[in-house]
This record gives sequence, C-alpha cells and structure tokens, in this order.
Amino acid sequence: MTSHASTSTSPVRRGAPGWLGRTGYVGLGGAVLIALLFGFVFVKGGYLLTVMQLAMIYGVFCVGLNFFMGYTGQASFGQNAFAAIGGYGSAILCVEYGLPPVLALLVAMAIAGVAAVVVGWPTLRLRGHYLAMATFALGLITYDVSVQWESLTKGYMGYAGIPPLGIGPFEVEDERAKLVCLMVILVFGLWVSGRLRNSRFGRALRAISTSEPGAAALGIRIPYYKLAAFVIAALYASVAGSLFAHVVGFISPEVFGLQMVVVTFTMLYVGGIGTVLGPAIGAIVASLLPEIVRSTGRFQDIAYALLLLGLLVYAPKGLSALSGLGRPRAAEPKPGS
Amino acid sequence: MALLEVRRLTKRFAGLTANNSIDLDVPEGCLFAVIGPNGAGKTTFFNMISGFMPPTDGTIAFAGETITGLRQDRIAAKGLVRTFQLVQLFKGLTVAENVEVGFHLATRGGVAAALARPSWFRRQEADVHARARELLGFVGLAGVADQDAELLPYGQQRLLEVARALAAKPRLLLLDEPAAGLNAHETDALAEVVQELNRKGTTVLLIEHDMALVTRIAHRIAVLDFGCKIAEGTPDEIKRHPDVIAAYLGTEEAAHA
Amino acid sequence: MPSLVELVQSLVNGVGIGLVYGLIAIGFCVIYNASGIVNFAQGVFVMLGGMFTHAMLIKLGWPLAVSALVSIVAVAGIGVLVQLAIVRPMWNRKAPLFAIILATLAVQLLIEQIVILTMGDQPRTYPDFTPGGPLKIGDIAISYQLFWILGCGALMVLLLTLFFNRTRAGRALRACSQNREAAALLGVPVDAMLMLSFALSAALGAAAGILITPTQYTAYGVGAPFGTNGFIAAIIGGFGSAPAALLGGVLLGVVQSGAIVVVGAGYKNVVALTILLVVLLFFPQGIFGGRGKKA
Ligand SMILES: Nc1ncnc2c1ncn2[C@@H]1O[C@H](COP(=O)(O)OP(=O)(O)OP(=O)(O)O)[C@@H](O)[C@H]1O
Ligand SMILES: [Mg+2]
Repeated sequence: MTSHASTSTSPVRRGAPGWLGRTGYVGLGGAVLIALLFGFVFVKGGYLLTVMQLAMIYGVFCVGLNFFMGYTGQASFGQNAFAAIGGYGSAILCVEYGLPPVLALLVAMAIAGVAAVVVGWPTLRLRGHYLAMATFALGLITYDVSVQWESLTKGYMGYAGIPPLGIGPFEVEDERAKLVCLMVILVFGLWVSGRLRNSRFGRALRAISTSEPGAAALGIRIPYYKLAAFVIAALYASVAGSLFAHVVGFISPEVFGLQMVVVTFTMLYVGGIGTVLGPAIGAIVASLLPEIVRSTGRFQDIAYALLLLGLLVYAPKGLSALSGLGRPRAAEPKPGS
Repeated sequence: MALLEVRRLTKRFAGLTANNSIDLDVPEGCLFAVIGPNGAGKTTFFNMISGFMPPTDGTIAFAGETITGLRQDRIAAKGLVRTFQLVQLFKGLTVAENVEVGFHLATRGGVAAALARPSWFRRQEADVHARARELLGFVGLAGVADQDAELLPYGQQRLLEVARALAAKPRLLLLDEPAAGLNAHETDALAEVVQELNRKGTTVLLIEHDMALVTRIAHRIAVLDFGCKIAEGTPDEIKRHPDVIAAYLGTEEAAHA
Repeated sequence: MPSLVELVQSLVNGVGIGLVYGLIAIGFCVIYNASGIVNFAQGVFVMLGGMFTHAMLIKLGWPLAVSALVSIVAVAGIGVLVQLAIVRPMWNRKAPLFAIILATLAVQLLIEQIVILTMGDQPRTYPDFTPGGPLKIGDIAISYQLFWILGCGALMVLLLTLFFNRTRAGRALRACSQNREAAALLGVPVDAMLMLSFALSAALGAAAGILITPTQYTAYGVGAPFGTNGFIAAIIGGFGSAPAALLGGVLLGVVQSGAIVVVGAGYKNVVALTILLVVLLFFPQGIFGGRGKKA
C-alpha cells in the first residue's frame, strides 16, 4: 500500500496497522471468504445480486459512519438524515431538474456536507445522552420532513422512476454492472478511509476517541476535528443515499428511517468498529445473514434487532474498540485530573 | 519578566476554595517544583494554567501574553504543554503513534494532504516517524515503540506521556506527579530525563510528592497547603521553612502513622 | 394570522398533550435517576399502552377500566422484561453508554416490528372516556378527555411523590439515584430497584398512551416521536423532580401546539425537535445544568 511507504523506515511495524484491527488473520480469512462469495453471487446472479448491491451501499454508509464513531469515538444516531438528503437530492435533481445522475450525486453531497456543518457545529458540543438525543432528533426531523413535504418528496408513497447511474449516454442498467460499479465506489471509499486513518488527520481523530484531555493538551482542536469527522461521515452517507436512489430506482421515507440506524450499527459492530475494512466486511456479512435464514421484510428487521441485541448483551467487549465511548458510564474522567 | 506569571489565581468549588489567590513567577529556563499534601490544590492550579478549568479569579500570563480563559489547544499552541496525574494515553494507538500525535502542533496538513500525499507531506510523515522514535529512545522506550500503548506497564505509560508532551516542543512543560507509581529505578530515569530536557532549554513546572526527588532536581520550590501558597524558595530554604515542616512533613508523618 | 380563538384553543390542546409528554418525561427521569440510563425505547411503552387498550376495549369488548388496568400491568411487565433480558446484563457488565442507548433503540425497533406482525400497521383509536362533549366556553372547545388527562396526570404525580417520600421502596429508589454505590453498601437491592424503575416508567408510559389515544390515534410508529418529546420535556424539567418534568411537558406541549397553528400539524414533531436542538444549542448542559449535566 503506498500509504505505508513511510513506514518502511521502521523494521517491525506490524503489517498494515488498523486495516483489519486485532482480528488480523481471522479478518483476512474473512476477506478471502467474501471474495469467494462475491464470485459465487456474480456467477449465480438473481436475487443475491440485489442483496450484494445493497450490502455495498450500506458498506459505503458504514465506512463513513466509522470515521465519526470508530476513529473519533463519538456516537451519532442520526446519520440516516444525510443519507436521506443524498437520496432525495439525487431523486429530485434527476427527475425534476433533469440533472445527470453523477452531477446530482455530487450536488446532493455538497448539500449534505453544508447541512452537516450547520447542524454539527452546535450539536457536537454536546456529550453523552445529549449528543445521542440531538443526533437521533436529526434523523427523526428528516424523516418527518420527508413524509410531510409532499410537494417535494411525494410523502409516504415515495419517489419512483429515478434514473440509474451513468455518464452521458452510458447507463449502468445491467445488475452485474451495477454491482461492479458499487464495488468500485466502496473500494474507493475504503482507500480514502485507510489513507486518512494513518495520517496526521487520522491520528488526531483517534487520539480524541480515547482521551480528549490528552488530545487537547497536545494542541488538537477538538471541536474542529469532531466536526470534520462528522462531515466526512455525512458525505459518505449522502453518497450511500444517492446510490440507493439510482440503483433501486425508488426511495421512500422508510428507507432512511430508524431501521437504517439499527441496521448500520449492527454492521459496524459485526465488522469491527474503528478498523478500516471492518465496516465493509460487516455490511456484507450482516446483509447476507438474514438471507441465509431466508427471511425477508419485517422478519429481516426483527432478525437485525435480535442479532444486534445478542451482540450487545453477550459480546460487550466487541464494543470496546469504540474506545472513546468504551468508558463505563458514570466514570467520565474529569478533565485534567 | 518571567515566562509564566500567575496573579491572584483563585478557584472555588461549592463550599471549597481549592486555590486561594496564588501568585507565582516561573522564570525562563527554571526547573520549578510545586509541592503540597494531598488535596492541597496542585492539580487544580495546573488545570487553570493549562486551560482545563476556568479560574474563579486571577490572571495567568505566558511569555507576556494573557492566556486566562483560552481554550486548551490554544494554550498548547503557545508552547505550554502539560501531562496528567491520571495518565491520558491514546489507548487504541501504538506507543510510537502516541508520540506522533505529539507532533501535531509542529506539523501541518489535513484531509487533502493525507489523500494527495504531496512530497512535502510524505517527508513530514517520515520525519515525524523518525523523530518519534528518537524521543522514545530519549526516554528509554525505543524497544516497545510498536506495542499497543495500553499494554505498557504503568511506569512506562508515564514516561510515554512525557515523551509525547516533549514532541510538542513546549517552552514550558507542566508535569503533574510524573513519578507517581514509579519504582526507584524508574524514578531516577525520569529525573534524568527531566533534568536533561531542562538543560536543553525547556522550562519545567513540576508537581511532585517525593520530597527527596524534588529537593534534588528543582531549582526553586513553591509549597501549597489548603489552597494557599505557604512558602517559596530554593530547596534549602524550603527544607528549613517551619510552616513547610509543619504542614507538609507533618501530614506525611500522620499518613505514615 | 391565526385568530385569538385559534390561539387559545391551541393552548388548551397544548396543555393536554403537554401533560402526556410530562408523564413520559417522568418515566425517563425515574429510570435515569435510578441507573444513569436514558431509555430511548420509552416511547414504545406509550404506543403499547394505546394498542393494548384498543385491542381489549374494541376487539374483545372489555370495559374501559379493565382494559386500561390490564394494559398498564402488561406494559409494566414488558418493561421488566426489557430490563431483565437486556439492560441488566449490559449494566452489570458496565457496557458503555452508547451501547445501552443502541440496545434500547434496537428494542424499540423490535417491539415495533412485532406489533406490525401481530396487530397490523393501521392507525387506530377509541372514543373519549366520557362520551359527549366537548365543553364549550365561548368559542373554545375543551374535550372531556382533557379533564381525564389532567385528573389522571395530577393523581399519578401525587401518587409518585407519596411513593418516593413515604414508602420504603420509594426511599430506596431515591437513595439509589443519589449514590448507587453507597446505597448498595447500605443494603439497598440495587438490581431490584432498577427493575422497579423500569416497571414504574413503563406503567407511566402506558398510562400516558391510554390517556392520549382518544384525542388522536395510535399506531406502531408513534413511539419514537412520543419518546423524543418526553425526553425533551425531561430536559426542560431538568431530570430532577416529577412536577418539574410535568411542567416541562406542558411547556413543550403549549409551544408545540402554538406552532402547529402557524406551520401546520404535520410538522409538530419537527417543531419539537427543533426546539430541542435550539435548547441544546443555548444550554449545552441542559436547561437546569447541574443535574442534567450527567445525562
Ligand atoms: N472538579 C472539582 N469539583 C469539586 N472539587 C474539586 C474538583 N477538583 C478538585 N476538587 C477539590 O479541590 C481540592 C484540591 O484538589 P487537587 O486535585 O487540586 O489537589 P492536589 O493537590 O492535586 O492533590 P493530590 O496530591 O491528591 O493530587 C480537593 O479537595 C478536591 O477534592
Ligand atoms: Mg493532583
């Protein structure tokens, strides 16, 4: 990896730090398994292709969320708001204003980014339950607006007829081609994530996640970095929302509702939060799990909720990677003590 | 003009005056120690100087500039860097990465640079890498550079925190009980590190309980008791000061009894 | 510009809904004070209260009082179940704050989906407790249900206050809230207290849901907005006493229904959430700093 060129000065630096977390070879094995799986899905086609496409889209979302929750150790329960901005932005810009999909995606991303700055600046000063509730509120507000503002969003009924991705006359219509396209985008997202993680910027984020006093004492502008991570997560979320709109061709408020929060957290948690590849692996694994038990729709949401609860209750150490949030309650160390 | 000038610094918590109108001057190049019994208000004093707690009253000037009420990172950027009584390591990071974070102020580049990796940025990262290892060598942690910081034994965690603070190139370094929990050997190593960096020009303000250590290395000592500065002077003056013997050594004996 | 009548009317409506928010807010406070946990699934108790009562009252034809009581007990039971199966194991393992919040959110999703599967996703309602009405004062209409809400709300706050001040269990719960470790050392069964707090808080939520359903409707998804509004009320009230939480709820309800007159009913939650964000913006520690700071 070019991003580790500079590490060559050190003889015993472990592999690529952070790409897989502590799971190391287990994770690597998982990656190989996923590659095989990919091949299988690709050859077999059919419904599994759709499942994989959604896994890639959720993967993009989770890789972004990982910036804020994994690297920086902050909780946001409202990142789905930015996915909704991306999704509706793409849909409206394409259908109403005839923008080409790629341009719509970029414009929606810019809107989501600006929204994240405006909203994040005051919100991120909060901590603990207040931060959780404020971010949760963002998601709820966006949901309500997308239901109520019917002239813009078509309300409950949702927005149909969104054109597929494409540049100029080339449209990605074939399901396999869509999957490849999404995979390329996800890999690019992972590359960005890896590069940032192992840089001055990423180190500052990760420092904040374990000790805010320690980071501040070394001159790290904590509000700035938290906001930056939040905005990056929002940009990824917006792209995921846009991709969903273009790939599925239909969006409704439900797509970006509470389920999205729970599903993406499950993925992040399954894959390994705070690592580079974890969110993508988690997205794939958690997308396939419900398919393996052959359940759909409502049962799928129930399966997610149960899976997540099981993990949270019986494998609480899995969350310790979220080191900043990993402090037990009531044990918030006093600054400077 | 002293490097750090503290005037009438006061901190009141509900029903408790943790710092009562403290005046203190730390001249440039000095190795200054603050001592006092448990709960005397030493950490509170540091917290206010480094911006982690707003003072109830009083002013703090650093290098002739008022820094009262500035945010922590602004104060750090001016060259006033601290360590913590309860170590504040970055646990998810390796030992070397902890020190690399210390170079934050001395380096630049954000998202764009990290993605594009222009040559100056690559050079800077390599440089940070090398210098982090140098610093780890300086405090005797070169052998564990690639370990997870949280796996270090306690004594080495303290040393790592010092190394990390040094990376920020402080003009004034505040050390809050850096020798707490260290064994005799580690304490000596630490003392040497502190004296060495002081000789190289870093002004040091040190909180310490270990009287023997303090009187050995400090140029000047201030004594806090119940939030008040009860004495200040050279180690010899302090050792003979009757109030200090009463307040400080008295409680020490009580604690040992 | 809305007329004076409209404004007064909205004020009256706001008091009604606000009292309900207040009851939910008290539910938040009870759990929070006993354990330091904010139960984000608080809203589903409200939803379940309305749904259960509807099922018994309309589908089974049971009398209202019986339906309401059975619903409250059943929802309290669900609260205990959530605590036993999920919150307690996590709490005992010192799971991070974020994980517990996430777990309560997952519980909310789980219960919502189960409700859809078993009871369907259609909104439903049942008539006011006392038929007839509304009471007309000039052009202002006051539905009889509002008096039920007022009466039951006041009664519950009174009972709660008595419970906390006069009974052993109540005092033990308060001891827990002040200092958990010390309470445990003094022999207060902290685990049992946590369970009690969930039962109480679920019962309060259910009661709120039962009271409010006749004035609007209930459906699987009403939990999240009710829960959030209750939390906002708790923040305004300062997470301290029951009357303060109730007052916080009324304040929120009135402002919200005033806003409805101006921007339309569809946006009432948006208005409340915006109020929350604004409150948090200007009072980042919560309105009543000290205590809420821990939240
Ligand atoms: N955030 C706070 N809120 C209330 N009281 C505090 C706070 N921080 C410190 N105190 C109180 O102020 C007094 C001084 O505390 P401080 O930590 O400054 O003492 P210290 O001299 O550093 O003691 P030690 O040697 O034990 O570290 C103590 O009584 C302490 O309980
Ligand atoms: Mg101290």
